[in-house]
Amino acid sequence: MRFKIPFVLLILLSLLAACGSNGSDDNNGDQVVLDIFNIKVETTEQLDNLIDIYESENENIKINVTTVGGGQDAASALQAKFSSNEEPSIFLLGGLSDVEKYQDYLLDVSDMESAIQAIDGTLNGVSIDDTPYGIPLNIEGYGWMINKDIFERAGVEPDSIDSYETFVEAVEVIDSQKEELGIDAVFGFSGMEDWVVSQFSSHFTSPEFDHDEAVGYESDELNFEYGDRMKEYTDLVNQYNIQPILSLDYSTSVEELFTNERVAMVHQGNWIVPSLNSMDESFAEEKLSILPLFVESDEEGKIIAGPSWYWGINGEKDEEEVEEAKKFLDWMYTSETGKELITEDFQYIPAHEGYDTDMITDPTSAEIYEMVLDEQVGMWANNQYPDGFFSVALFPEFQKYLDGQKNWEEFEETISQSFTEMR
Amino acid sequence: MTFKNRTYWLFLLPTLLALLIVLILPFFQGVYYSFTAYNGFQVSEFVGFQNYINLLSDSQFLYSLRFTAGFSIASVIGINVIGLAFAILVTQKLGKVSTLFRTIYFMPNLIGGIILGFIWQFIFLKAFTGIADFTGLDFFRGWLSDTQTGFWGLVILFVWQMSGYIMVIYISFLNNVPKELLEAATIDGANKWQSFWRVKFPLIIPAFTVSLFLTLSNAFKVYDQNMALTAGGPFGSTEMTTMNIYDTAFKIQDMGYAQSKAIVFLIIITLISVIQLYITRKKETEL
Repeated sequence: MRFKIPFVLLILLSLLAACGSNGSDDNNGDQVVLDIFNIKVETTEQLDNLIDIYESENENIKINVTTVGGGQDAASALQAKFSSNEEPSIFLLGGLSDVEKYQDYLLDVSDMESAIQAIDGTLNGVSIDDTPYGIPLNIEGYGWMINKDIFERAGVEPDSIDSYETFVEAVEVIDSQKEELGIDAVFGFSGMEDWVVSQFSSHFTSPEFDHDEAVGYESDELNFEYGDRMKEYTDLVNQYNIQPILSLDYSTSVEELFTNERVAMVHQGNWIVPSLNSMDESFAEEKLSILPLFVESDEEGKIIAGPSWYWGINGEKDEEEVEEAKKFLDWMYTSETGKELITEDFQYIPAHEGYDTDMITDPTSAEIYEMVLDEQVGMWANNQYPDGFFSVALFPEFQKYLDGQKNWEEFEETISQSFTEMR
Repeated sequence: MTFKNRTYWLFLLPTLLALLIVLILPFFQGVYYSFTAYNGFQVSEFVGFQNYINLLSDSQFLYSLRFTAGFSIASVIGINVIGLAFAILVTQKLGKVSTLFRTIYFMPNLIGGIILGFIWQFIFLKAFTGIADFTGLDFFRGWLSDTQTGFWGLVILFVWQMSGYIMVIYISFLNNVPKELLEAATIDGANKWQSFWRVKFPLIIPAFTVSLFLTLSNAFKVYDQNMALTAGGPFGSTEMTTMNIYDTAFKIQDMGYAQSKAIVFLIIITLISVIQLYITRKKETEL
């Protein structure tokens, strides 16, 4: 009995506390409360900081952020919020499948300042029938992230790589001088990570879908129009990669091999910049660059860049709350303070026009921003694959090919089949 | 109804309610979902037994069942042999040292599965490669990059985690073996070997019932270790059934289908556990 009374009290207390905190959340006079559901764990602190500044400028606004990280968990957590009638006012959308899922709630954002200033094409991934339902969070771009220094020491000028043939030559030249350059291999492709494989495949599926998110989302077949080139690239990587490629994970590939200059390039994107900075301040500034893949033609190379997430606004909330949510997002992306925070604090590549390239902190990100403005980029085709396709179909089959268990024809056949089945 | 009866049910009520809410109702809801096409958001249609029919031709699911079964057999044998060996070692009269070893052997069990997975991933990928570079032995190269090493990697990890726990069970049974029986055996001229196999071993058979049940059901339900160590790779060849079910539910967003897999899996585990308990119980009573 002695143990039980405190225990019961504890339960009662916590119940009371729970009720209490629920009660105090509502009824705040004329204060408007916005609930934001955030998935970008990496920039949680920056978001909190931005919100603090916004709240101090707008006294009548109170913003609560819920951050849930880690891909699938976040998606289910958001779903749980909606099923339990605690819908957030602003939440992140991954792509068209999310838009379709939450379409009943989502607000048409086309009249918002932050939608008008969004770079042409960045709204495609969140539009149904030409109506945009979200504001792009930022731009993320990927391709071959290279160490310029190693290239130059091997006598290869990165700028001179302007076709698939010159790329292969460069790889061979670097490989022949491995010992002098002090590297283990040319590529550090992490064949253990499903998302790396998925992004890699995007270079070859984006042109098949005309670089158009809607086409990719509606397509129920994947025919590997550029499958031959994909095979060439895959074979090249596999031949000159750190082995065993199948157990090379992200952290070994980027944080160990690439940062310590033991490989010349990895297939990654601008998100590796912060982790490069944390190890060696000068790396991103002086040595990092990005190379495109030559897919549609031998001469024209493209990286993949575009918004990876979009802010959606819950239009089912009361009018005041919706208005404030719109104001907040507009402020975040189009006001001077917002712009400064986005580039310097978040270190994002902005998805909006009107940013000075000098504001972007590292040259590679600036390069990607320019390419996006010039529309010289492919789209994140992998975001339009059927749910789970990259992880349970594409990735294991790709690994089987790398391991020599299946030939390329079998790979293409299985993948096309699963694509259609899972759509 | 007598007063006694009423208070009996009254005291039982909170537990029954809790069980009803968190176990029984969700279970029936789950059974219902397994007959539908459900994406976690809304039920789009009632499909009857279609999910269960699809299961029979889902090669990855069937493969994961076989893999899980293989894993369970290997690890149940490994854990019980090593656990028993540990228990025998630490019940020798060595004074303080044996307490120290008991603690050490038990310690892996205190670490969570995810962390264990990452620790062993580091060992297999980094430390093993280091050993290979140092000694030139190819045995230590390329762990977790093929099915074989992935499988044994998981078994080693799980055996390492569970042996200490099972050891504790064996220790308690070993300590309960009556001293006079052992003395009698010694007087009769039995050596250590004989007195172990002929006297101690039959007396600790009940421990096997508990240990086999625990290891078997735990081995079937492994998820976090699998997730952290190999994540099912390479090419889905080390994917256990639990992971297959999770992926179907949360990656493919096909909750109804995943639910039907979960129910088939539940039936399989229940059957195996009941059969195992029946057999070992029978052995116990024969003695």
